[in-house]
Amino acid sequence: MLTRQEALVDYDEASGRAIPDRLTREKHRSYLGYAQRFLDIYSAGIGRTRRELHRSVESALAANDDCPLRRIAAFKKLLDEKSKYAADAGRKAAKLRQQVFLSAATSHPLVSRVEGVFCNLEQDVKQRIAAELNLTWEQIDARLFSDVIEFQRLEGFEGYASPEALLARYNVAQTQAALYGAEQLMVWSQQDYKAILRYAKLARLMHSIRREGDGSYCFRFDGPASVLRRSTRYGVAMARFLPGLLSCGQWRATAKIVNRWGKRYRLELSCDDGLKSTAAEIAEFDSDVEAEFAAAWKIADCGGWKLERESEILHAGQSVFTPDFTLVNDSGQRVLLEIIGYWTPEYLKYKTQQLEKFQQYDILLAVLEQTHFEVPSHCGKPIVFKRQLKPADVLTRLENRAE
Amino acid sequence: MPSPPELNFDQGTLLLSGVSQRFIERVFDDGVWVFDGRVGKFRCDALHYAAVQAALNTHLTSRWVDSVPAWKRLDHLAALAVAAEQVRDINTSPNNLEMKPSESSEVCARNQSERPVKRAEVQLRIDQLRAVDAWLATRRGCLVMPTGTGKTEVALKLITSVASSTLIVAPVRDLMYQWHRRILLRTGIDAGILGDGVYRVSPLTVTTYDSAFLHMARLGNQFALIVFDECHHLPGPSRQDAARMCAAPYRLGLTATPYRSDGRQGLLEELIGPICYQQKLDEARGDTLANYDLHRIPVYLSDAERQRYDELSRTIQQYMFQRRQDDASFTWQKLCQESGRDPASRRALKAFHAKSAIEDRAEEKLRVLEDLFRLHVGEPCLIFTGTNAMARDISRRFLIPCLLSHCGKRERLDILSGLEEGRYPAVVANRVLDEGVDLPDVKVAIVIGGSSSPRQATQRLGRILRRSRFGRGVLYEVVTRQTKDVARSRQRRASMDS
Repeated sequence: MLTRQEALVDYDEASGRAIPDRLTREKHRSYLGYAQRFLDIYSAGIGRTRRELHRSVESALAANDDCPLRRIAAFKKLLDEKSKYAADAGRKAAKLRQQVFLSAATSHPLVSRVEGVFCNLEQDVKQRIAAELNLTWEQIDARLFSDVIEFQRLEGFEGYASPEALLARYNVAQTQAALYGAEQLMVWSQQDYKAILRYAKLARLMHSIRREGDGSYCFRFDGPASVLRRSTRYGVAMARFLPGLLSCGQWRATAKIVNRWGKRYRLELSCDDGLKSTAAEIAEFDSDVEAEFAAAWKIADCGGWKLERESEILHAGQSVFTPDFTLVNDSGQRVLLEIIGYWTPEYLKYKTQQLEKFQQYDILLAVLEQTHFEVPSHCGKPIVFKRQLKPADVLTRLENRAE
Repeated sequence: MPSPPELNFDQGTLLLSGVSQRFIERVFDDGVWVFDGRVGKFRCDALHYAAVQAALNTHLTSRWVDSVPAWKRLDHLAALAVAAEQVRDINTSPNNLEMKPSESSEVCARNQSERPVKRAEVQLRIDQLRAVDAWLATRRGCLVMPTGTGKTEVALKLITSVASSTLIVAPVRDLMYQWHRRILLRTGIDAGILGDGVYRVSPLTVTTYDSAFLHMARLGNQFALIVFDECHHLPGPSRQDAARMCAAPYRLGLTATPYRSDGRQGLLEELIGPICYQQKLDEARGDTLANYDLHRIPVYLSDAERQRYDELSRTIQQYMFQRRQDDASFTWQKLCQESGRDPASRRALKAFHAKSAIEDRAEEKLRVLEDLFRLHVGEPCLIFTGTNAMARDISRRFLIPCLLSHCGKRERLDILSGLEEGRYPAVVANRVLDEGVDLPDVKVAIVIGGSSSPRQATQRLGRILRRSRFGRGVLYEVVTRQTKDVARSRQRRASMDS
């Protein structure tokens, strides 16, 4: 992620919107070429110092009439993120400095002309030390501060898949940086609820959940102290959450942003912005059992029952439980279905606790045969299945319940 | 049966369950607690822990569960405090507190001969003992003591008196390591370090303001005492947040200058406590601090530098002139804003930075430095520069160690102890040494370039004022004549004279 010093956000007074810097094909056509040149500079830059590489990037943009300094700084950061610079293994530079300075201490001060008792000429002392260390002074001078960050040399560059990939990363990084100033993030979503909440939890955000009239959900994300005062303390967590959100479908979001001068703006985002996620995708199904059941349901005769995947969120405080499926029939009846498959003993125990916590909800359970799952006392008799859960077994149970 | 009221620590806040809204309204001031519907409990800043705990003990007749403290009593520290207390009783019976001036200066002289302090038992001076007593009366508040008057010793005395888990927060990494060293010398404890890539938390831990902010949500209930060194740094927005997230009931602030130009010092009182002891610089100067001499040495740009400098000035002037013909209100600020869109203003901005670099790194400064080294040969010497580049120029020209932010812990120690023990004749440093980093005694300090904030000047000078076994110190300011370097030097002196 970028630092605040590399963040480039336009605050539009008229609309009250915060607009992170965004490079697009229409408006910034030239940047594809620049991105390619940056990649070339770094790819061909093995052995050069960080400062030389940064200066090359700067001069590549020297004639560009559309290039804020922060944009240059951000590109340098994103390129460095994929670079490996030579670390000063074994503190070689520090040890060399110690040798040189200790040796020179006896000749202090190094003078430019001999005068009375001051007879240690700068170049003579340097020659003496070079001879002691069996190097030339030029070699010593080049190595003396080689551990300073700007003088470190490039060892490897992982790079980006293409200039387009670098620009895509830039756009996401600037949006993330705009979120550093966020006090609150609202997300309206029509699918992938479970993934959204899971990404938010990974980013250590707190949620408030509201169901909208059309059955979709509205999430508010912030942190513990947000009830005490408006705080941008959790802005970095929101930035960390963004790539996860970008991997989900059918959502829009609004963040409340405070800029450096304490003014408030709105940052609006949606799944149609074209920002590309870099988050590792969460597998759609937890297990094959669920995937096979969903596939079998599609081709079975289901007598008017429709299968919705993780469409209902049960929540109590900061605990959330998303049953695997919701079965909906024509008369609007909704039945929650949770499938218990090949799981570790710890996870089975956790699941039992979760079902007890949410015992006011009527949840139909399907349990794999011979699983050591302790069915909570409030739950009805579960459907027991072998290897694969059959739609017919579920339908039979649904009909029995209806009676 | 309902469960008893319980107080918990949650990511820098406190959560209270098992009490009614009416109880909250009756017992606490408005705005301390807020009901958090997301978790169904009352929530407040961890900062309020001491007050909340006291109020619950007073107003709850039944049992309540306090799950906040995760700190420990440190008996080995308590033992050290007792040992020191015995020494103190001998020195400061009540009569001694009313010492005549001559006697008090005798005490100082005795301490002076004992420097550098490197023993477990340290005798505090009268003014230091007053500071100790003032803080211990409430265990909350700031001590204002000029640089060089032994704030660290006072703080160490207080830490051993409280003898519970303690977090010490310092502004920069150097100071963090310095605390670590002082604790080791004084108590024999290898304190934990949090920051500079190290994550080693123990009941006695040192950290920096920035690391404290990153980790306080997790560590805010692990310490009974939090010490803010150079606490005038605290009122910055994210740093004050770190202080709010900490539940430590005991809070100590240390500073030489509680002044902040943004006028938010009132926040220190909320986050740490009131000023409980204040010592003025003048009081300290005659008593425990040496006087010093100040010399200002002007340098001139070389012909080549002057030529380049003037060329750059012309570039900027011409550009500004052209722009002002179109727009009379065109300002430097506008130029900075436009530098993203306009290569020409970017060139002007670059010219401006190049001018600063010429002033900063004028060759003549190296020649002046050579003369000063000749003049003070055999006397330990410390040089401050405004930039890393100038510090490295000096280091490479004279082959003296340079203390920059990239130096590791071991190298810093080697450089500082090397200057103290005479292995190195001189050391050059950039701003890394600001803010009361403990320096070995030096006789000569040379300031080259540097910024002009009054606080920075006082504190840098404080190190020269420090009681030195070499007697009266000398401070040189090397400034580039007829450039803005001169204006800065004037500001620095103005802040010192006042």
